[in-house]
Amino acid sequence: MNKDASFSGELNRRDFLRGGSVATMMALMGGVELLAPAASRAEGIGVGNKVKVGIIGLGNQGREIVKSLGANEKAEVVAICDTYAASVRKVSKDAPGAKTYEKYQDLLADKSIQGVFIATPTHQHLQVTLDALQAGKHVYCEAPLAHTMEDARAIAKAANALPKQIFQAGLQHRSDPQRNWLLPFIRSGSLGQFAAARAQWHKKQSWRSASPNPDREKEINWRLSRATSLGLAGEIGIHALDQACWFMNRKPSAVTGFSATMLWNDGRDVPDTVHTVTEFTGGVQQIYEATLANSFDADYEMLYGTFASVLMREVLGQGKAWMFKEVDSPLFGWEVYAKKEQFQGETGIALIAGASKQESFTAKPDAITLLRSSPLYNSLGNFLENVSEQDTAMNSFIELYGADDQQALLDYLKTETAPRRKPAASALDGFQATVLAIKASEATFNKQRIELEEEWFAL
Amino acid sequence: MKAKALLLALTLSFIASLQAADVIVLNSTPKGNKIRMEGTSTLHDWQVGGSLIGGTAEVGPDFPLKPGAAVKPGPVQAKVNVFIPVQQLKSVEKDGTPYKASMDQRMYEEMKEPANKRITYTLTSLTLKEEPKAADQPYTFESVGELCVAGVTNKITMPVSVTVLEENKVKFAGSTTVKMTDFKMTPPALTVLGLGIKTGDDVKLFFEWVAVKRSAPAAK
Repeated sequence: MNKDASFSGELNRRDFLRGGSVATMMALMGGVELLAPAASRAEGIGVGNKVKVGIIGLGNQGREIVKSLGANEKAEVVAICDTYAASVRKVSKDAPGAKTYEKYQDLLADKSIQGVFIATPTHQHLQVTLDALQAGKHVYCEAPLAHTMEDARAIAKAANALPKQIFQAGLQHRSDPQRNWLLPFIRSGSLGQFAAARAQWHKKQSWRSASPNPDREKEINWRLSRATSLGLAGEIGIHALDQACWFMNRKPSAVTGFSATMLWNDGRDVPDTVHTVTEFTGGVQQIYEATLANSFDADYEMLYGTFASVLMREVLGQGKAWMFKEVDSPLFGWEVYAKKEQFQGETGIALIAGASKQESFTAKPDAITLLRSSPLYNSLGNFLENVSEQDTAMNSFIELYGADDQQALLDYLKTETAPRRKPAASALDGFQATVLAIKASEATFNKQRIELEEEWFAL
Repeated sequence: MKAKALLLALTLSFIASLQAADVIVLNSTPKGNKIRMEGTSTLHDWQVGGSLIGGTAEVGPDFPLKPGAAVKPGPVQAKVNVFIPVQQLKSVEKDGTPYKASMDQRMYEEMKEPANKRITYTLTSLTLKEEPKAADQPYTFESVGELCVAGVTNKITMPVSVTVLEENKVKFAGSTTVKMTDFKMTPPALTVLGLGIKTGDDVKLFFEWVAVKRSAPAAK
């Protein structure tokens, strides 16, 4: 994707190694475990000024957001909103003291609310996001940003036109400490030349929610209709598709899709099993598969290089990664001492149905540690940190110099605050990932190859 | 008796208005300000930077406000109150790039923020030591003032240079070294990778503050 959209500047392997501590090196490892040091993980948990927030849309993702914010010391959930009263009642238990709304416009009218999390169905993001930005709120909008390129572009443009407000697209991997720690390792050429990428998302579930009446049934199951949903490739696959672009720092040039409904023949027109092949500049391809018909091996992402491969997956709620070296790859040195694990393909360990191969080597963390290790927690946390910094900086500036010189205020935010922001997906990141997700979705629905035009990704 | 009292009151108010007319108020501007603190530790040196300084300077007619203005060495009329929002001070690398948010939080705790949201400085006397040798060179003053950090006030004496950037716009610059313990702050001691790390007591302060006479509002 756009190089400017993510981390700029390439790193070399020596720079990366110099930056690591001895403990980091010792923690790294064939399956060499690649685990971010505790300090960099803890960076996401901040203290200081609390941020008053509201959540709009209380479906599955909205509920997860409320739960996650409940564990974050920086969050003060003051309002929740959903058009369905039963959802509001259900979630209000996790947001004690929060005002409840059925109309998001009423929530936005509360001037004390600094930021909002928008977790409505994808096709409803546009108006809510535009209204939230217009109301002066900082906005975290779930990914994909929209189900059409026009809507996604309108959201990103509106966000970029308001630089005093933080906008974050809900591409959680971009805020994950583990992945951010891996990024320079991968970008520095430690894997050699990129050869291929692969990712999967397997779950056995219908994606259908029970509902008390036909109207609600249609509303709550918006993901099952192509008119409102991007299906598995778009709604779920966006994270893996974006991650490949981000890690490899490459633009996607074409995407081919395949799909079928293998289990849930219940009248839906969104397939329950999809495959995509995304081609990148330089010829690298990523294969992504997602299914609702089988849960084996859950979800993970792989990057293959000519020297080594990296496997990334969550184990007991915590993001982890392992490196698998080729026999002819250069020796870094530190990997000699690092922790190594055995995987079925590498060591011939017997497969046990239904058991994850990784479950045996880590102690189970407590519930709060588990929650705080999740990419969602870190993504929301980074939004809160960035909002807090932005609002504190603006308030300090205005207290000193007044609000007349808006250009000076913008300059201050650009030079002093922006460089300190916690990693987070920008409006452009979100827009470009959404464009790819939309096209990947289209490719799976129509079982075709789509060449991706560069101007589609430009704002 | 009543008439005498009235005359005295009128005279005093006339003198006061004359003095007020002679005082020029300079205000902070959002551009050109710099704050830097530098300290040491047993592991490596540390730096903190910022660019927000608020406050005012009320200066008399003997204060240089025009390029090349002649000022006699000796005391100069000036009343300065400035402040720095603590939360806008950030840890930086030597080259000024951001360091760590965790270091910022530690610093705010040491400065007892939010109970003390600002570092404040009040000038009590300003004495010109040396006139500039050229119009674009700074005037060198000796300043005495009160610096308040973490709620503790100390008297500070330091050389301050004043550069006239343009008419009624000046830059104050100076540096001094203070001790954390003078402000009842304990130099932080940390344990990293099992190693004890202790920060030094001395902190070098550097500042540049640009103040300008605000132009009169346009007539309605």
